[in-house]
Amino acid sequence: MENLIKFFIEIGRLKRMPRRGWVINRIKNPESIAEHIFRATVMTWILGEKKKLNREKLLKMILIHDLCEVYAGDITPYDKILPKNKKKLAKLMRTWPRFSNKEKEKTAREKYKKEWQSLMKLTETLPPKLKKEIRNLWLEFKKGLTKEARFAYQADRMENLLQALEYWKRYRRPPLMPWWWWAREFFHDPLLVEFMGALDKKFLKKKKKSK
Amino acid sequence: MPSPTEKFYLTEEGLKKLKKEYEELQKIAQMKVREKIPEIFHSEELNPEYLAYREDNELLQARLADLKYILKNTELIKTPPKEKQNIVNLGAHVTIETEGQIDEFEIIGSLEANPSLGKISNECPVGRTLLGHRVGDMVVVQSGMKTVYKILKIKYK
Repeated sequence: MENLIKFFIEIGRLKRMPRRGWVINRIKNPESIAEHIFRATVMTWILGEKKKLNREKLLKMILIHDLCEVYAGDITPYDKILPKNKKKLAKLMRTWPRFSNKEKEKTAREKYKKEWQSLMKLTETLPPKLKKEIRNLWLEFKKGLTKEARFAYQADRMENLLQALEYWKRYRRPPLMPWWWWAREFFHDPLLVEFMGALDKKFLKKKKKSK
Repeated sequence: MPSPTEKFYLTEEGLKKLKKEYEELQKIAQMKVREKIPEIFHSEELNPEYLAYREDNELLQARLADLKYILKNTELIKTPPKEKQNIVNLGAHVTIETEGQIDEFEIIGSLEANPSLGKISNECPVGRTLLGHRVGDMVVVQSGMKTVYKILKIKYK
C-alpha cells in the first residue's frame, strides 16, 4: 500500500503543473496537466463511442498517457527556440515553428526518451502487474500499436485544440493561426476531422479575419 | 473492427516493416504457447514493445489481429509514371510555402502519418487538399482559418 500511496502522491503533482504551452502564451491561471487529462478522457470516451473500440483499454490509455510528465515536464515544439525578449516571444507565438525533417526526428527521439525514462521512474515501485500494465499502455499509445491507441492519440490533441479556442475566445490568446496550421496537418481520423469542422463553425464563423 | 471498406495505404518500406513485425510476433506467440522464451528477449538492446508483448498476451494478440487486418486491406503506394510526377499524389514529397514559411511534407496513408516528422496523411485537410495539384499551384485550405499553400516542388523517391 505504501508504494501505491507514493505513486498517487507523485501523480498528484500533475494537478499543480500548468500546461507549458499556455504559460508561454501568458494565459492567466492556465489549466494543469491533470485538468487536460480529465477532459481528454471524457472526450475520448464520448467521441470514441462511435468507433466500436475497446472502451476499457481506451480510457485507461488516455488516463495514463501524460503521467510521464510528472518528471519529464510538458515539452512543446517551441522549447528549443524560445527567445527571452517578450516582443520576440510574442512574434514567435504567431508562427508555427517549422524545422527540417532531421531536426523533427531528433526532437521526437529526445522527447520520447525523456518521457519513457520518466515513466519508468514513476512506476518503478508499483506492484509488477500494475507497473507492466501502465508501461505497456503508454507504449501502445505512443507507438500507435492498436486502433484504440491511434484514436486516443488524436482525440487527446483535440482537447488541446478546444482549449486553445476557448482561451482565444476569452483572452484573444494564443494566436490561432499556428493552431490551425498544426491541426490541419495533424488530424486525419474522419470523425475528428468532422469534429474540427464543427469547432471551426462554433468559434470562428464570425471571426475569420482575427489572428 | 474498422469498416470493411477501409483501405490502408502503405509505402513499400512501411509494408515491409509491418510484414516483418507480423512474422516476428507470430513467432513470439508460438513460442509462448510452447512456454519457451524466444531468443529475441535475451538481447539487452531490446525494444520496449517486445518486452511489452512478452508480458502482455492481450496486447500481443491485439497487435497481431490489428496487423492481420491491416495487411489484408493494404494498398501499396506506387510511384506514378514519370509524366505524372508533376502532380501531387500519395507518396509525394511536397515542398510548400505558406505565410512566408517553407516546409516539406511526405503525403502518405494515415497509418504511417507522423506530422511531427513531416509525414502527413492523405486524409488530413492539408494532405487531402494538396492531392492532384502541381508545382506553382496556390492551394487554399479552408478548414479553420483560410490559408494559401504555394507548391514549390514535388518529388517522388
